[in-house]
Amino acid sequence: MTAVYKAILNLVIAFFFVISLEGIARKITARIQRRIGPPWYQNFIDIFKALSKHPFSNGWIFDFGVLMALGGAIATAAIIPMGSTFWTPFPNTDNFFVIMYLFAVGSLGMAMGMVGSGSPWSAIGVSRALTQMLGYELPYLVVMSSVMYMYKTSSIHLLIEKQATNGWNLYVMPIGAIVAFISLIGMLGKKPFDIAVAPAEIASGPMAELSGKYMGLLQIMHAFSIFVEVGLFVDLFLGGGSLGWFLVKFIVVWVLATLISSVLPRFRIEQMLKFYWGVPLGLAFLNALFVLLGWTF
Amino acid sequence: MFTLLIALLIFSVVNYFISKASWRVGSIINALIGSYLIFQVFTIPKGTEVTIGKFLGETLALQWTNAGFYFSFVSLLVIVAVMFFAIKWLDSQKHPAAFNMFILMVTAGSLGVFMAKDLITLYIFWEIAVLSSMLIIPMGKKESRKAAVVYAVMSAVGTYMFLYGAFMIYSRYGTFSMPEIAKNLANDPSTSFKVAVVLLIAAAGIAKSGIFPLHTWLRIAHGNAPDAFSAVLSGQLVKLGSYVLMISVAVFPSLKIFANLKLYSGVPAPNYFLIALGAASIIIGTLMAIKQDDMKMLIAYSSVANGGYILVGIGTMDPLGFEGGVLHVFNHALAAAVIFMAFASVVYRTHTKKISELGGLIHKMPITYIAYLFAIISLAGIPPMSGFISKWMIYQALVRKGMFITAAIAFFGSIGSFLYVFRPLAGVFLGQLPRKYKDVKEVPPIMWIPMLVLVAISFVMGVWPFPILQPIENMRADFGIAPSFKIADAQNWLVRGFSGSWNPVIVFNLFITGFIVAYILYTLFPKPKKVDLLKPHKEEGAPINIYTSGEFIYTPELYHYNTKFYAGFERMYEKHPSWEKLLYMLAKFFHDVGEWIHGWFFRPSPSAYTFWLAMTILIIFWVRW
Repeated sequence: MTAVYKAILNLVIAFFFVISLEGIARKITARIQRRIGPPWYQNFIDIFKALSKHPFSNGWIFDFGVLMALGGAIATAAIIPMGSTFWTPFPNTDNFFVIMYLFAVGSLGMAMGMVGSGSPWSAIGVSRALTQMLGYELPYLVVMSSVMYMYKTSSIHLLIEKQATNGWNLYVMPIGAIVAFISLIGMLGKKPFDIAVAPAEIASGPMAELSGKYMGLLQIMHAFSIFVEVGLFVDLFLGGGSLGWFLVKFIVVWVLATLISSVLPRFRIEQMLKFYWGVPLGLAFLNALFVLLGWTF
Repeated sequence: MFTLLIALLIFSVVNYFISKASWRVGSIINALIGSYLIFQVFTIPKGTEVTIGKFLGETLALQWTNAGFYFSFVSLLVIVAVMFFAIKWLDSQKHPAAFNMFILMVTAGSLGVFMAKDLITLYIFWEIAVLSSMLIIPMGKKESRKAAVVYAVMSAVGTYMFLYGAFMIYSRYGTFSMPEIAKNLANDPSTSFKVAVVLLIAAAGIAKSGIFPLHTWLRIAHGNAPDAFSAVLSGQLVKLGSYVLMISVAVFPSLKIFANLKLYSGVPAPNYFLIALGAASIIIGTLMAIKQDDMKMLIAYSSVANGGYILVGIGTMDPLGFEGGVLHVFNHALAAAVIFMAFASVVYRTHTKKISELGGLIHKMPITYIAYLFAIISLAGIPPMSGFISKWMIYQALVRKGMFITAAIAFFGSIGSFLYVFRPLAGVFLGQLPRKYKDVKEVPPIMWIPMLVLVAISFVMGVWPFPILQPIENMRADFGIAPSFKIADAQNWLVRGFSGSWNPVIVFNLFITGFIVAYILYTLFPKPKKVDLLKPHKEEGAPINIYTSGEFIYTPELYHYNTKFYAGFERMYEKHPSWEKLLYMLAKFFHDVGEWIHGWFFRPSPSAYTFWLAMTILIIFWVRW
């Protein structure tokens, strides 16, 4: 039963904490661009306003896609360990590949529902998002394989425990951590990798047809996705600690990603692919080689 | 067992005449026989052995093993689904009687391959399966004749190498029986002989399951075969190849045979060679599938990639990798069969297989869409469908062995599969319905029920995989690949890897809970107004109500994005080298040489012809006597 309470806590933190952080990110970007920016709670206002409006639905698959997206994101966010074995809701199931593929349910649901809306903008956006996935997942998964090979486990809470004795992976394999962070920016869809939404070119891509509660629900889904993506990075590279430390590390990673993204322009699709399959993939293999040879700190 | 096979072969001919009178009766009888066979494979006791004849003084025999049971069961699931599907679908075909006959022959041939105890029996039934399937392929369209030839040639390349290997073994050990060969190979001092023999036997599997150098027939044969038969080709016949590959690395215990040839983390060099071929197939299959416009060819290339997965998994000879590879046989068989049947339904109603000519069929064929959706979730390896379990096991094996490059290629294939399976989803089923298909209807229940049944099996095995993992564990025990832990732990509801485990029931429950929470949130907020995407079809001159930057759109099909779906990515490898073109150049070369010889020696004059005939006979006499 405690597993269920812990999973619910995961979801509550994911909701309030990440949506506040999204507001803070808007504030940071605004300050860098010498604007005042909205208040930190602006995203809560946006979501509740969207949820309360009368929406338009483009057919049953549109509704089903939104439900599948949110459902998949909730399921994944519920498994993520938060920095220690104690805050691991399902210690038998927090396997890395399970999390990555369960996470894909949400992406597939979103892609399906949005293309189902019948708007060509959405279809173009989804095709871009899937191509981008091919770009960032490859270096990320190679780095993760080397992490799992080194510690002989793919269970996230065991990897956190191993780091407690061995030192953070950020220090043990700095190259791998850097590659994973670059992939994380792509996963979050922040600039320079916001190709899929690209508001100026394709009318926010997949979101073109969203109105009212559909927009609100997908914003909540987006918050859960950020929780999964950044949470995994913190767990795997920044060691463990209490729940408070986990959240502090979460904020640091998120602010760093925001700072980087707010000064960069957008890549084109093939530039993005060439970038990810160039230096980051090469470094990921170099990191794997170091792990094989035992050249870790 | 033997009487069963002979009865099937004889009845297939009888059924031809029944079908000539009424093909529908024939196809219903087929479906009933198939269902009976599924029941029958459970009743044959393991280890039953039947002698069927003699060849070169050696007894030919059938033996019922765990591996044979598993492969027969998977094959029959696919074939029976297609047989039921064909009861209605055959009315779009020109030769239903011949189809009914040959599909029974394919069944008999495949079952014989899985029952064979020695290489010659395997070869005989293999040829029955290949030839009868080869005769179904040209029933499709005009290009299908050529497809059948390419299929036959590629198959022949593999089977001749297989036969050559079989006779090499016979001349050295004097036996064809597989358990005997395995014993002899393990004690043989000559490394080069063992490598040659194992790779020659594997060649038949490489050709049949569409692994890299011999993969080109899949696109042509699967793309042009009669639509429902593509499901059998991709779901079942390709798995004959996986079975032979399994024989060459697991039944002939490669870890023992090549104990002094270990290349890297305990994987022997010949296995590594096969894994490299599998990895090449994953890359080629994925990249080519992404850019196809013909939806059947797209999934044909995906079969190349998935054949690569199976080979990579089995080739590692790791307990997890082996189970993953063998379970992938089941997953890919079911997923590919459903996908091809869904496409057959689409073609049955719309008469086209080009993605760029279709769109929006979800409004007209929702059940076909649901079947396709769940099949691609399994094919892409997303939980809670069973496709995830095999991919997870293969990844575990690759990470454990530290095979990072193969792992990276497997990841590429997996993410790439999201791309290519989404293309027909978006292009054929979602988006805007072209005006010419506005009167299309859903296919009748006898066509969609088999699809949904297969999808349901795949789903149940994704949530509770232990019934299907048990026969695989038995097989693994037969081949002596022992893990240090229990992989399928049904007591604790866990599937274990070399490190860490996961509970499929929890994953499924989380998924359902997430869905229910999402649904509750959805119902809490105001009800939506419906946008009718089919309005321009119903009312002449009504615009479509979607965001279009201020334009009024009266021709929605022009705004359906399905051509060059991944243009940004496809552009990057437009000028790729083509193996298929190289093979055609080779074929052209031999053709020209043949033409030259023909023109030189067999000029159309009877006297020259007689002269060369006499010369040939004289030479034969001179050499022989």
